[in-house]
Amino acid sequence: MSLTAQKATNSRAFGASSHGTITKERFVLMAGPTQPRPANQHLRRNPPIAGEQEAIDKAREGDGRAFETLYAMHKRRVYSLCLRMLGNVAEAEDLTQEAFLQLYRKIGTFRGDSAFSTWLHRLAVNVVLMHLRRKGLPQVSLEETLEPSQDDGPRKDIGARDLTLSGSIDRVTLERAIENLPPGYRLVFVLHDVEGYEHNEIAEMLDCSIGNSKSQLHKARMKLRDLLRTGQRKEQIA
Amino acid sequence: MIVMRAMDKTMTCAEFQDALPELFESQSDFSGHEHLKTCENCAALVRDLEYIASQARLLLPIHDPSPAVWDHIQQAIRQDKPEPPATAARK
Repeated sequence: MSLTAQKATNSRAFGASSHGTITKERFVLMAGPTQPRPANQHLRRNPPIAGEQEAIDKAREGDGRAFETLYAMHKRRVYSLCLRMLGNVAEAEDLTQEAFLQLYRKIGTFRGDSAFSTWLHRLAVNVVLMHLRRKGLPQVSLEETLEPSQDDGPRKDIGARDLTLSGSIDRVTLERAIENLPPGYRLVFVLHDVEGYEHNEIAEMLDCSIGNSKSQLHKARMKLRDLLRTGQRKEQIA
Repeated sequence: MIVMRAMDKTMTCAEFQDALPELFESQSDFSGHEHLKTCENCAALVRDLEYIASQARLLLPIHDPSPAVWDHIQQAIRQDKPEPPATAARK
């Protein structure tokens, strides 16, 4: 049975957006998850989990129950990562499945150079990026989005004094706004600001320049600000 | 270079905003930047962008996949019958 493409997926997330999608600078799938550089944010987000090492050891020996334990420990984080990167429930579930199947097959290659969760999440990121590449997204370059447009370029009239965001965003609102980002922006924003990857790591993953990653991130934040402020205005009118 | 130029108090809003990505990535505190002292719009922009980044860091994984995902994984493992992981790792 095919492990992907089991479900019809809606393609809202990668429709014909005029900007912000990825691909002319193509994705690169590493042969397996590389051992990421140590990063404080990764450590903060990936604290040791009680019983994890024992489960890893047993799963490496083919213990199905131990693998199920690892799934239970990490399914939420992996699925949330996929969902935020893709903005699509069905695809996120497919790729969560694919990521854990790859884990099952590759767990013997885990060397312990980094936290297991860090290694697993990098594996999941690679699975998502490979999926996006296979999918043949609308070919819009990351570089193209460096050119300011009327939609997402710097605004000179920003910052109306009655509409500052500070202290006013709840988690659900922010999650929804992230979901509505153009795919290219969303990828970089999720990888950097949510997942804590560094620009050099993102550049390697997306096969783009570090400057490009920085620029995409800035534009993503600007776009999010627009989305959040628009939401605030609608609430005020209502 | 851009950051140095960004310290110029005579810069316009457009110039300041063009320099913002580098300013953010410089990891330095630029809240006392000369332009921000006189431009409420740009100061509000900086506050908002910093706020968005800080809130994003607080987002936790809250969504669970449906139980069907685990069912599919088990099914796929059974059907694929891959070699045991430890053996595969030695290849």
